[in-house]
Amino acid sequence: MGHGGGGHEIGGHKLAHFAGLTFNLDTLYMTWLAMGIVIILAVIATRRLELVPRGWQNFLEMAVTALLDQIENTMGPKGKKLAPLIITLFLFLVVANELGLIPGLTSPTNDINTTLGLALMVIVLVHILGVIERGPVRYFKHFFEPFIPFVIINIIEELAKPITLSFRLFGNILAGEILLIILGMLVPYVIPTAWLAFSVFVGVVQAFIFTMLSMSYLSNSLKDEHH
Amino acid sequence: MVDLNATLIAQIINFLILVAILAKVAYKPLMQALADRQAKIAESLETAEQEKQAAEKLKQEYLAQLAEARTQAQAIVEKAAKLAEQTKEEILKEAREESARLLKATQEEIALERERAIAELKGEVVTLAVAAASKIIAQNMDEQANAKLVDDFISNLDGKKIGGLPC
Repeated sequence: MGHGGGGHEIGGHKLAHFAGLTFNLDTLYMTWLAMGIVIILAVIATRRLELVPRGWQNFLEMAVTALLDQIENTMGPKGKKLAPLIITLFLFLVVANELGLIPGLTSPTNDINTTLGLALMVIVLVHILGVIERGPVRYFKHFFEPFIPFVIINIIEELAKPITLSFRLFGNILAGEILLIILGMLVPYVIPTAWLAFSVFVGVVQAFIFTMLSMSYLSNSLKDEHH
Repeated sequence: MVDLNATLIAQIINFLILVAILAKVAYKPLMQALADRQAKIAESLETAEQEKQAAEKLKQEYLAQLAEARTQAQAIVEKAAKLAEQTKEEILKEAREESARLLKATQEEIALERERAIAELKGEVVTLAVAAASKIIAQNMDEQANAKLVDDFISNLDGKKIGGLPC
């Protein structure tokens, strides 16, 4: 929340130029921090795996088992191959969303580059899986169904997927942080605290929504077409 | 605020690295643990089922043995009762035979005893007759003495002591 104090400025990023490319440095730092936290949590949880789970292992196992069940339900048995990706997506997004609520830190997900990157990755994977599952001919044919003019709608739909997916998360997290700072300046203490608590909830929910939507897009390309 | 740049590519790479690290560090051991636990539980259940079946089998065996033992005991008791009956019959028969034999032997002995007594008595009578005869011969001096002797003898016969003859 160090507004203007040499730290983070909402919407603005420290830029770094490398090999002709521009990088948002603070986003990258925060991403690495979030990655580190996720890895540490995972390592702590699985450091000494016991047959009878206890404590943190039990908690992570419960989360993983619940996600696995969800994956199996929505994506079928083939989805198991994608389970690490989806579980990692959820863990990373939760940690990343909550990171911005810690004073002095920002969420890597308040950068459209992060969210759009992840969304594009998911959508590319959706198309790759679709081609692998159904073969290129059948896959590209389904864009022209049920009638050839529908290709416009179908392409818009495909384009809308990554955009809605990424902007939903980006907007929620960025808005949360902006409002937190503004409320902190306007009305001290009670309302910012309430909003902070709500932002914790929003962070989890948005991570969950992003993960669930990714899962549903992926499962669509794994299953046979219904229409 | 919404400016796309190379960070997008970097984030994708970052995320894929995270997926790779987590898959190696966490998911593999976690899945292994889950699979191990599943296997263990399945094994335990199977073992329990087997043990239950074994126990059931043992129970059936014991019940069968018990029934057999009961039948055998019944048979033994019956056999013993039969044997006792038989033995009783034999003992009774033997006792009857024995008593009959004893009776016969006693009767024979009595008869023998009687014969012997009669023979003895005959001997006594002879001795007595000889003694009487010798007395008669010794005192046969006169008619008067002779008559008295006979008279005495007869009067003695009249006496109560007919069986108490001097030997």
